[in-house]
Amino acid sequence: MTHQTHAYHMVNPSPWPLTGAFSALLLTSGLVMWFHYNSFTILYIGLLTNMLTMYQWWRDIVREGTYQGHHTPIVQKGLRYGMILFIVSEIFFFAGFFWAFYHSSLVPTHDLGGCWPPTGITPLNPLEVPLLNTSVLLASGVSITWAHHSLMEGKRNSMNQALLITIILGVYFTALQTSEYLETSFSISDGIYGSTFFMATGFHGLHVIIGTSFLTVCLLRQFKFHFTSKHHFGFEAAAWYWHFVDVVWLFLYVSIYWWGS
Amino acid sequence: MALPLKVLSRGLASAAKGDHGGAGANTWRLLTFVLALPSVALCSFNCWMHAGHRERPEFIPYHHLRIRTKPFSWGDGNHTLFHNPHVNPLPTGYETP
Repeated sequence: MTHQTHAYHMVNPSPWPLTGAFSALLLTSGLVMWFHYNSFTILYIGLLTNMLTMYQWWRDIVREGTYQGHHTPIVQKGLRYGMILFIVSEIFFFAGFFWAFYHSSLVPTHDLGGCWPPTGITPLNPLEVPLLNTSVLLASGVSITWAHHSLMEGKRNSMNQALLITIILGVYFTALQTSEYLETSFSISDGIYGSTFFMATGFHGLHVIIGTSFLTVCLLRQFKFHFTSKHHFGFEAAAWYWHFVDVVWLFLYVSIYWWGS
Repeated sequence: MALPLKVLSRGLASAAKGDHGGAGANTWRLLTFVLALPSVALCSFNCWMHAGHRERPEFIPYHHLRIRTKPFSWGDGNHTLFHNPHVNPLPTGYETP
């Protein structure tokens, strides 16, 4: 038999899982070399191979799905499960940092002054830039929903505009947060307050940048007519990820910025 | 923890949104331009109004802050990544007078 009699996707052999695994090794050992032996080389090669793997692997997926038609409904179902499970794993990742925050802040130790925020720490006013950041991400959740409905209704101009607004809001958030990082009176080295604050908000910021990049790729694909009104899972995956990033921020805002101040 | 949130009636306004059932692209476009983006504008305005030079706190060499168990892997190893000399003191005090 020379043709398949099922709707699943038998992927052609690909080098990217191997290069990806190798880049993970280079990244981790590179970090060790940088932190402890003052050498940036391995980390640099790791970053390079990681970027190249991501670009080429995802390019191949777009080719397989959009150009070659391998993403049948059952294949798409598998991709949905995959994205959901990935986001669940990210939720657990953040759960760790929230655990560390609540562990430290609910029972502040004696050397901090027995209080939270610790003695000598001036927390940010939650009603200023943090509130603005909240409104920016919530607004981007509204605009991305507008984009999705426009896509489903075949309104091309509307979709382009809405997705662009979403991306701009994402960039605005990143810019605001960067300026906050440069302006705070406390730093990551300011005890457990600094550690929990910057680890949690820092990883969140990284995820905003990842989400914004994902949305930008969607915008470029939209310009090239990759999505149809019925089949646009790449966009849906980006939207799910974006909503996840928004929800994590809401937890951060309520826990660290508001309750923790 | 009592915050004067009624001053800014926006708050976390997501619960206040009405029409969701069968809402199409036009509804979400309306929400974007009438609710979401104006809220961002309002909050932006609020921030710029409250911006401006804050008096920086006096430096007290607390032992639980400005911890340096190991030098940072960049620069002179004594400055954090987002170090701002105006508001961030080193373990020995502010750099700028």
